Amino acid sequence: MANPVIMPRQGQSVESCIITTWHKKKGDTVQEGDILFSYETDKSAFDEKSLFSGTMLAVLCEEGDVVPCLDTVCIIGAEGEDISALTGGAAPAEEAKEEKAEATVQAAAPVSTATERCEGERIRISPRAKALALKSGVDMTAVVPTGPHGRIIERDINAALDKGATATIGAVEDFLAGKAPVTIPATEADAPAVAPAPCVVEAEYEEVPMSGVRRAIARSMHASLSEMAQLTLNASFDATALMDWRKQLKAGGEAMGLGKISINDMVMYAVSRVLLDHPTLNATLVDNTMRLYKHANVGMAVDTDRGLLVPTIFKADTLSLADFAKATKAAAAKAREGALTPDEMSGGSFTVTNLGSLGIESFTPVINPPQTAILGVCAVTNRLKADGSVYPAMGLSLTFDHRAVDGAPAAKFLKDLCTALENFGLLLAK
Amino acid sequence: MPKSQYISPDKAFEKGFLNINSIPLCQYDASLEDEKKIYTKEDFLRIYRDMRIIREFETMLNEIKTKSVYNGVEYNNPGPAHLSIGQEASAVGQAYCLDINDFTFGSHRSHGEILAKGLSSIHKLTEEELYDIMKEFLGGNILSVVEAKQDADKKGNIKDLAIDFLLYGALAEIFARTTGFNRGLGGSMHAFFIPFGIFPNNAIVGGAAPVALGAALYKRANQKKGIVIANSGDGALGRGPVLEAINMSTMDQITKLWGMDGKYSDAGMPILFNVFNNFYGMGGQTKGETMGWDIAARLGAGFNPENLHAEKVNGYDPLAVIDATTRKKQLLVEGRGPALLEVATYRVSGHSPSDSSTYRSVEEIEEWQANCPIAAYRRKMVEGGIATDDEFAAIEEDIIRRTTKICAMATDLEISPRMDLDKTPDMISSIMFSNTNTPSMDPGREPDVLAPKEDNPRVKQLATKARYAFDENGKAIPKIKQFGVRDGIFEAIYDKFYEDPTLIAYGEDNRDWGGAFAVYRGLTEALPYHRFFNSPISEAAIVGSSVGYAMAGGRAIVELMYADFIGCAGDEIFNQLSKWQSMSAGILKMPVVVRVSVGSKYGAQHSQDWTALCAHIPGLKVCFPSTPYDAKGLMAAALNGTDPVIFFESQRIYDKGEEFHKGGVPVESYEVPFGEPDVKREGKDVTILTIGAVLYRALDAAKILEEKYGISAEVIDSRSIVPFNYEKVIESVKKTGKIVIVGDACDRGSIMRDMASNITEMAFDYLDAPPAVFGSRNWITPAFEFEKYFFPQADGIIDVINQKLMPIPGYVNTINESEMEHIARSKQGL
Repeated sequence: MANPVIMPRQGQSVESCIITTWHKKKGDTVQEGDILFSYETDKSAFDEKSLFSGTMLAVLCEEGDVVPCLDTVCIIGAEGEDISALTGGAAPAEEAKEEKAEATVQAAAPVSTATERCEGERIRISPRAKALALKSGVDMTAVVPTGPHGRIIERDINAALDKGATATIGAVEDFLAGKAPVTIPATEADAPAVAPAPCVVEAEYEEVPMSGVRRAIARSMHASLSEMAQLTLNASFDATALMDWRKQLKAGGEAMGLGKISINDMVMYAVSRVLLDHPTLNATLVDNTMRLYKHANVGMAVDTDRGLLVPTIFKADTLSLADFAKATKAAAAKAREGALTPDEMSGGSFTVTNLGSLGIESFTPVINPPQTAILGVCAVTNRLKADGSVYPAMGLSLTFDHRAVDGAPAAKFLKDLCTALENFGLLLAK
Repeated sequence: MPKSQYISPDKAFEKGFLNINSIPLCQYDASLEDEKKIYTKEDFLRIYRDMRIIREFETMLNEIKTKSVYNGVEYNNPGPAHLSIGQEASAVGQAYCLDINDFTFGSHRSHGEILAKGLSSIHKLTEEELYDIMKEFLGGNILSVVEAKQDADKKGNIKDLAIDFLLYGALAEIFARTTGFNRGLGGSMHAFFIPFGIFPNNAIVGGAAPVALGAALYKRANQKKGIVIANSGDGALGRGPVLEAINMSTMDQITKLWGMDGKYSDAGMPILFNVFNNFYGMGGQTKGETMGWDIAARLGAGFNPENLHAEKVNGYDPLAVIDATTRKKQLLVEGRGPALLEVATYRVSGHSPSDSSTYRSVEEIEEWQANCPIAAYRRKMVEGGIATDDEFAAIEEDIIRRTTKICAMATDLEISPRMDLDKTPDMISSIMFSNTNTPSMDPGREPDVLAPKEDNPRVKQLATKARYAFDENGKAIPKIKQFGVRDGIFEAIYDKFYEDPTLIAYGEDNRDWGGAFAVYRGLTEALPYHRFFNSPISEAAIVGSSVGYAMAGGRAIVELMYADFIGCAGDEIFNQLSKWQSMSAGILKMPVVVRVSVGSKYGAQHSQDWTALCAHIPGLKVCFPSTPYDAKGLMAAALNGTDPVIFFESQRIYDKGEEFHKGGVPVESYEVPFGEPDVKREGKDVTILTIGAVLYRALDAAKILEEKYGISAEVIDSRSIVPFNYEKVIESVKKTGKIVIVGDACDRGSIMRDMASNITEMAFDYLDAPPAVFGSRNWITPAFEFEKYFFPQADGIIDVINQKLMPIPGYVNTINESEMEHIARSKQGL
């Protein structure tokens, strides 16, 4: 009995993924647990392991193809087995073409199949649909094409827009676009494609196409800066108490099984508590509507080889410091492995990013749209008190969206946060 | 087919012999003494001077072409030079007896004829008339050049100045300078000068014959003075259009019917077909090799009982040519034309300077050179005591000096600049069309008509028709009661016949029958023969003559019964009608409407839409209306303009009523502007752009799309093809993103393909799919029963939309218009 292997659905709203590498070819022997293929969404990469042993009987799409989730991508079974029943809906390209040669032509079905996408490496899209997609922020790779030859036409973009969240590549775009179309600035949409430099024998540079993650970051950050009214407040607090607590935790905490707890964990812990008193900063702003979150879903910026990833610590305000630290460690590890699902990277209400370990004393973090604020954690520097004594001062940089929050409430949050951190023991007791 | 002329079987089968009258050959034998009675010494010397001017002019060009220097003037002329060294006596002899009311048309080898006619006109015009002509022409541009360079000792001598003007204007034209007679746009083979009665020469062998016939027709129909001479070489006698033109000029009706019982003139066509027989058509020897008539004058016997008054004359004796031409002119003036004259001559020069004369012997050339007409004439004059050789030498010397001066002037870029297309890039664009509004070509004259305008059976019948297709309740009025497309065309033409006295219309079966498709019903009752007649089945002569008619100052509507016959008038449409406005630098106007009817039901040679062929040729306006309102308005616009229009009509829809223009087709005259497409149905999802009668099938498709599939189609009727304003189409595409262009022409190379390509370039970013084209298959047109497999139908239009623009849920194609299918067809040339 031959087994179809489908493209897994990574996240509720992910509609399709790109096959990046086939590790097995047609005719190869496959053992259960062997990696069949690697694939990625905009933001994550995955390997698909085989649940079956046997022979690879058919590979139905090529590397680079965008495959709708749950579509069959390959078939594993016994050598020589009849798989026609399984390929009915997704026949290899050649067979499909033969059918088309019939005198009376069955018009292309309005809903495309994976086959049509598999025929070419590139996304086929009309100039008109492309312009609309760029303008409305819909990800072309996720739109279901209904034009001739699997071409995306205007109505497909409109259909995707009508479907709202499901029209985007799921959580990634939810995160970026906040479940609503984002208008990409005209400069990006209208910029002519840069012609590739003429090929020289010894290239003076290497051209590296942007990865999906990179492109997503680029879109999101650019949208963030061009759509919002961002400004940054800088403050610092006396980190003596915090560092004392850190020492204690290091010394005794691990023995008590609390695990490793970093300064960053402690700052985020404080953030998750203080945020609840400042709902406009624990929020998202979409289409003139503020969504004020009842819990603090704190995003944590993690630097990875693939680029910046931001897993969300959901309901962070309900976690104990120890659980909090465990959650951040697990999330960071998954981020570095590229194993985060889009769902794990969405739904944040506030983000914390930390450049302090790299010695940065203050900076202007860029808000993750559609959130209303982001906190940058800076380095610890020694400062003098009025009495001449030295204390460790930790910098905090809060960027907020002035459309959503005014300066005073934002400053108040920052002040409350400093107070909480300076009195970390009291905060823990709260 | 007048009923007055009865054809009886007895007559048709009558026994007997056809006797052909003798054709005189070189019968001129006047002695010098006889000639002295006709010509003064001055006349004799002038004949010599004119021949010698031509000889020197052609010699100069030969030197420039072969050595790039003439008498120290260096120049490289890349253009053509078909010289007539040896033929000077023929040209001067002909021109001697002509005046400026007599028009000459020539060939590619006509420098000599231009100069001869010009010199003859200069002699005959008064100094005042001459100066006025020179001052008026091209704003005095040429005059100011030659005036500045006139020899000091000749200042004030207007006739001398006019000779400079003639030689310089012709040479500057040959060298493509803006100071040429036609701003350098005509060149060597198309030089002409209308004020002297010198009409265009023609680079197409025999091309001038039907055009010249048209000028004669203008004189004949409008009672103008003078005759017309169609000059050609012997090689042109192999060309169909020449034979068609000769035949058409002999039409019995001109003398038998056009008089209309004494009401109008019954004179014959005032045209002389003059054949300069130099024995070679380029290299092919007409007598003995490529033709069978032995003597060109024999042709006369084939055309009418008078043998076209044909005779052959010695073209190396200018006095013999003068004698013959004078007699022919007299015949024509008396209304006994047409006539044919063979002028035997010989060109000593090659066909062109690159000709190495591989087709003739050195001995032959040498013997003709020994008989040089100019030297022989001079000898005869000296021997006859008319003048001394010194007198001739002085004339010769003056000519060489003048020619050298003219050559230096015409080659000097300061004096004779070329058109500057860098500084004025629109110079040529601006003369491609005249774009005037000229309701009458002769506003002062009353048109010849047989009855008052209102008193016409067709007009009375049309008064009872419904000018809008639906009644006040929106219900369709029976077709028989509707004012149709054919009525719209008729009304515009009928109006113009009562406004412009020069307007004439002709073609096959126009009179009595009323045109094969009844467009002209009613005109027979309204118009005398000379304004509305049946032509022979001679498409080249029909269209060619309309070109000459317009050149001479009139307005014409000619009809090709089927668009498929465009090929029969190919040169006349593509090279003559289209080009003379611009080749004349805007001096000539071309108010000609060529009506062509696109057939159906009549198979492969009677059902073709050839709009693309006409649209491809620069200089033609092309339209294809499909509604009575548009047909009437476009015809009115065509007839008010002075540009050549190919007016396509469809036999499918002559009886279609007006379904779009609310309020119906106005009775009064109005124009639909050329170039403006019209939205016949508004929509938002897909645009259908139609060419011609396919409009109605597109509207059917739009209806099905709306009712069955909820797709809203916008239907735009192109109406015109050249010019064409894309703005309205682009606006529609911006809205819908999708367009299919539909027409009855075969797909390959069609105007639909051209439009698709343009729309792609102009609206790429708005397109949701490449513009689709749906024309006829690249087949022969099959019988009517198979038409749906060949011509675009409503279902097919939807198929194309489904397959190429926007797949329609639940729709199943009946035909395959996929790209794969097109590739496969194209591989097979289909």
